Amino acid sequence: MPKSQFMDPDVLRQPGFVEFQPIPVNQYNKTIKEESANFSKDDFLRIYRDMAIIREFEQMLLDIKTKSEYQGISYNNPGPAHLSLGQEASAVGQAYLLDKNDYIFGSHRSHGEILAKGLSCIHKLDDKELLTDMETFFDGATYRVVEGKEKDKGNVKDLAIDFLLYGALAEIFARETGFNKGLGGSMHAFFTPFGIYPNNAIVGGSATIAMGSSMFKRINGKPGIVVSNVGDASMGRGPVWEALNMGSMDQITQLWEEGHNKGLPIIFNFFNNLYGMGGQTVGETMAYNILARVGAGVSPTQLHAERVDGYNPLAVIDAMRRKIDILNNQGGPVLMDTLTYRMTGHSPSDAMTYRTKEEVEKWAEHDVLVNFEKKLVDAKVAKADDFAAMREDIRERMIKIVKLAIDDTVSPRMDLSKNPNVIADLMFSNQKIKSMEEGRTPDVLMPKEENPRVQKIAKKERFGFDKNGKPVSKNKVYQLRDGLFEAIIDKFYEDPTLVAYGEDNRDWGGAYAVYQGLTESLPYHRFFNAPISESAIAGSAVGYAMSGGRVIAEIMYCDFIGCCGDEIFNQLAKWQSMSAGVLKMPVIIRVSVGSKYGAQHSQDWTSMCAHVPGLKVAFPVTPYDAKGIMNSALNGTDPVVIFESQRIYDVGEQFHEGGVPEGYYEVEIGEPDVKKEGKDLTILTIGATLYRALDAAKELEEKYGISCEVIDARSIVPFNYEKVLESVKKTGRIVLASDACTRGSALNTIAQNITEMAFDYLDAPPVVVGAQNWITPCYELDADFFPQKDWIIDAVHEKILPLPGYVATHNFTETEQIRKNKMGV
Amino acid sequence: MATPVIMPRQGQSVESCIIAKWHKQKGDQVNVGDQLFTYETDKATFDEEATVAGILLDVFFEEGDDVECLLNVCVIGEAGEDTSAFRPAGDDDAAPAEAAAPIAAAPIAEATVAKVSDTAKENVFISPRAKNHAEKLGVDVRFAEGTGPNGRVIERDVEALAQSGAAFTKAAQAEAAGSTDKFEGTGIGGRVTTGDLKKPVAAAVAEAMSAQEGVAYTDTPLTNIRKVISKSMHNSLSTTAQLTLNTSFDATEIMAYRKKLKANSEKLGLGNITLNDIVLYAVSRTLLAHEDLNAHMLDDKMRRFSHVNLGVAVDTPRGLMVPTIFCSELKSLAEISAETKELAGACQGGTISPDLLTGGSFTVTNLGSFGIESFTPVLNAPQTGILGVDTIVQRAKEVDGEIKFYPAMGLSLTFDHRAVDGAPAAKFLQDLKTNLENFSVLLAK
Repeated sequence: MPKSQFMDPDVLRQPGFVEFQPIPVNQYNKTIKEESANFSKDDFLRIYRDMAIIREFEQMLLDIKTKSEYQGISYNNPGPAHLSLGQEASAVGQAYLLDKNDYIFGSHRSHGEILAKGLSCIHKLDDKELLTDMETFFDGATYRVVEGKEKDKGNVKDLAIDFLLYGALAEIFARETGFNKGLGGSMHAFFTPFGIYPNNAIVGGSATIAMGSSMFKRINGKPGIVVSNVGDASMGRGPVWEALNMGSMDQITQLWEEGHNKGLPIIFNFFNNLYGMGGQTVGETMAYNILARVGAGVSPTQLHAERVDGYNPLAVIDAMRRKIDILNNQGGPVLMDTLTYRMTGHSPSDAMTYRTKEEVEKWAEHDVLVNFEKKLVDAKVAKADDFAAMREDIRERMIKIVKLAIDDTVSPRMDLSKNPNVIADLMFSNQKIKSMEEGRTPDVLMPKEENPRVQKIAKKERFGFDKNGKPVSKNKVYQLRDGLFEAIIDKFYEDPTLVAYGEDNRDWGGAYAVYQGLTESLPYHRFFNAPISESAIAGSAVGYAMSGGRVIAEIMYCDFIGCCGDEIFNQLAKWQSMSAGVLKMPVIIRVSVGSKYGAQHSQDWTSMCAHVPGLKVAFPVTPYDAKGIMNSALNGTDPVVIFESQRIYDVGEQFHEGGVPEGYYEVEIGEPDVKKEGKDLTILTIGATLYRALDAAKELEEKYGISCEVIDARSIVPFNYEKVLESVKKTGRIVLASDACTRGSALNTIAQNITEMAFDYLDAPPVVVGAQNWITPCYELDADFFPQKDWIIDAVHEKILPLPGYVATHNFTETEQIRKNKMGV
Repeated sequence: MATPVIMPRQGQSVESCIIAKWHKQKGDQVNVGDQLFTYETDKATFDEEATVAGILLDVFFEEGDDVECLLNVCVIGEAGEDTSAFRPAGDDDAAPAEAAAPIAAAPIAEATVAKVSDTAKENVFISPRAKNHAEKLGVDVRFAEGTGPNGRVIERDVEALAQSGAAFTKAAQAEAAGSTDKFEGTGIGGRVTTGDLKKPVAAAVAEAMSAQEGVAYTDTPLTNIRKVISKSMHNSLSTTAQLTLNTSFDATEIMAYRKKLKANSEKLGLGNITLNDIVLYAVSRTLLAHEDLNAHMLDDKMRRFSHVNLGVAVDTPRGLMVPTIFCSELKSLAEISAETKELAGACQGGTISPDLLTGGSFTVTNLGSFGIESFTPVLNAPQTGILGVDTIVQRAKEVDGEIKFYPAMGLSLTFDHRAVDGAPAAKFLQDLKTNLENFSVLLAK
């Protein structure tokens, strides 16, 4: 909502028409002779060779999948293989001009893209760089397998091709020597030193991530472009649309500062093979007819969209040359509709019930290799024999690579019996890195001390009670939102790559005023409003971080995690471990737990996030913890979902002696905190329920003489049980409470672990007091839905320690528990 | 008017029955002849039918409950009738809650909350923490009054128990484990020592004496099984014409035979055969020739058995039981011996099949091990004979002009003179005596 942009009714209400430019379709029509000025004989032959390598690689996998044999070598590959036979020209054409600074992101069908991009890089890199890349990758684990086995001894490029083919195949065969130690596999193989970024098994999954990567390049002034390679059917997915829109949003050219105000350097390329599994995108499942049409609906640039004949490598190279020019000059994004056709099924199990034999045969007549060879022979670039020799050479190389990749002695799998933690150790990177780009001065608008919010906070009381123990008024007290702000603004002045965005972040200051004042300090390109596109917000954060930056992405209400489930649960959580530690993911997802807003705006989804391996989950509820945990998350390299409760943004610090420190400190994520000591009963809380638990503790103590120890979990993943066990061993009794619905609540996991580890000390089973398994009703009924002080006391009375003279108002009996569960509530 | 349905007493020695299945539920309409519930004794399964029609108003026991005979099990009547008067006394689990005064900052093991039980419980539901605490303090948790949810014994109950002085020393705890008495502790910290364990007996006597103002007896109601035995014994004596003949025989041969078996125990595996087994074997072989003693005297007829179904009296903690060795005349000595032991074990363990407690045609009872020289066994009516086996005493007899001592084992035969006259009964004893004195010959037959 920039005030600089005036929404003038006098202009906006004028009649008129939206006009479109014609969208080019397969306009390339040059002959080999005409292209001879652009390509040497070697170039032509290399294009052929790269296509032939992909062809042989995919044919080899097809043979192994369908016959368990390739060239007399037996092997069984149980993993997936989505082959791109037929699509070789589009992959090689795209990669031809790209170098290692250009990033490609792919799909489940990207073997061809990996190889083409790798081969293109190998051609462009000098021997020294190539050797360094190979020797340093996983300390040379992959390199050592192929080292010295090149046919042309001493030829580094020849060796690098072996390395590329071997690294990819070993990955597909789940070998520890593969590009991702076998943790990525066929659908996720990638090799970042050559600018090959993750392929993605979620259809369209790469669109938001690639867009985030291009944001990284634009915001931080990094060279190169980004290509998002997805399929034609992915246009049916919301996140792809969100990526197109967010990647094209007006502010980049209209509001971002000089040097960053060129459209994002990204090509949204759609390898259009006409089918999404079996769904025919033209005539059946989609409406665009020609996919390139969609670009015209996104922005006035029409995303410079065109359809390119992906069955002619030279047509694709020609288009790429023009598109890269656009990205380098006026900026992107660009949309390419690269027409192609896969000759085999979606996967080897595809019976191809959706297309006719005649159709496949007709496309076979257009075979890219056969036709390109014929054209080159006709143009007298080379003789048929030269091509046959090249194919024979490739087959020989492939046999060598296959033999190496299936040899357990040189290509072992991860040995989890010998090293049971090998995958566990990859789930988090657990590093502390102050700045993701040391040495560069962060781009800010004023010295931090001059920031109006910083100055305002300086006048606040940093502890919640005055000398006489009376609460400081809300207006004077340093609040939880101040704690978050302080940590965040500090990091903005320290890490030049840090960006923050989300809905209504700038100007408004975030829906709950955490960011108030940040606008004054930060340029637009570091702190901006995102479209209402949770998938694109979270997905772009993933891409931004894996390209080398640090992000705080805000999802206004945690309920909206439902809108970006894939990006948080499948992408953010997994790429560190699927890359075997190659990628880092310093992403903070800020979400708030609503209050007063009913069923779709008031849920506590900590448990859902805690369930998915790979995410750290924290829920600070005091100003001290908010600043300390935010600092810890911002200084780390792992994805952290930070929950904030709207109920307590204004709460002052009541626990930490001396109030919230002005300087830097960290609260380690995973360490619960004893907020109040006691000896008869432990109450463990997650989230804002802490304050209700403290009220319950007070009543239990004053009325019933039960001394309560109150522990704030602060984090859910990771979680150190030591303090809690120590407490439970002392008290023998524990109630666990949070605002999350009881069924499946993370509290149940904690309760179960406590039962296992402190059973002999327990005087009663741990009791979980969560929210009802209902919708969150209107605010007026909050007390019937979220755990209250008296629920906790009732639970103590009915399940742990009957209190003399106490009459429970809520039914925590076994009968009720059984009845409710029978009803599914 | 509401009518209670009691747990019937099926059979003489049945004290209680288990409800196996309810065929009607509380609130169901019941007609005369409808099956109400199925119940089991240790011998058989029975169905209880309704004898009145109406609504099944109340059910006091659930399936699986062990219900004392003659207690009310359920009530049939008209809708709305009060059934509380029929509720069995022991079933009242709704003990009135302690009226709780507002307690300000009371300690967690406040005495007004936690109580101590006066009697030991068999099954104690106790929290792990309370259990460990009890072990540390050395208190017997069976005396703890559970004040946790569902009566669970929790830490404060153990604390209260310890404060009441119910802590034991380790040694005393082990010794008192089988006892259900309560002890006064005089050891360190009020712990009960082994010395204290002996006190309660004297203390209890004194207490009882003073409580009953010097009257040194107590009235104890008869258990059901005692009532049954009392009735059947009286019935036997009042309805039959029984008299007892006593004799003895020279046990030299059977003792020698048994010694041989014992000596060759490892080789033969027959070391467990007792003198009583040998008597049983001899009875089984002798009785067939004396059919009036292998019989039942029924009101208007004699039932003579074609096999010797030998009843063997067994003393058990629950009372006298008489299992049967069927067709004993067909079984070898080893088989009879083994079967006797198995039956006795089953009786003592309470696992005896009811079918094995009936059908006897003659009974052997043995008080010899108690040193009884002769006695009057009471007939197991309607059987016509019962043989008492007595102890062995040394007797003298003249052999070839010399006085020789020999081991004499007494035999006491009670028979029903209504069925058998004195001479035939004596003849049986004589044959038995001959067989026992020439046991090796009998074995050869």
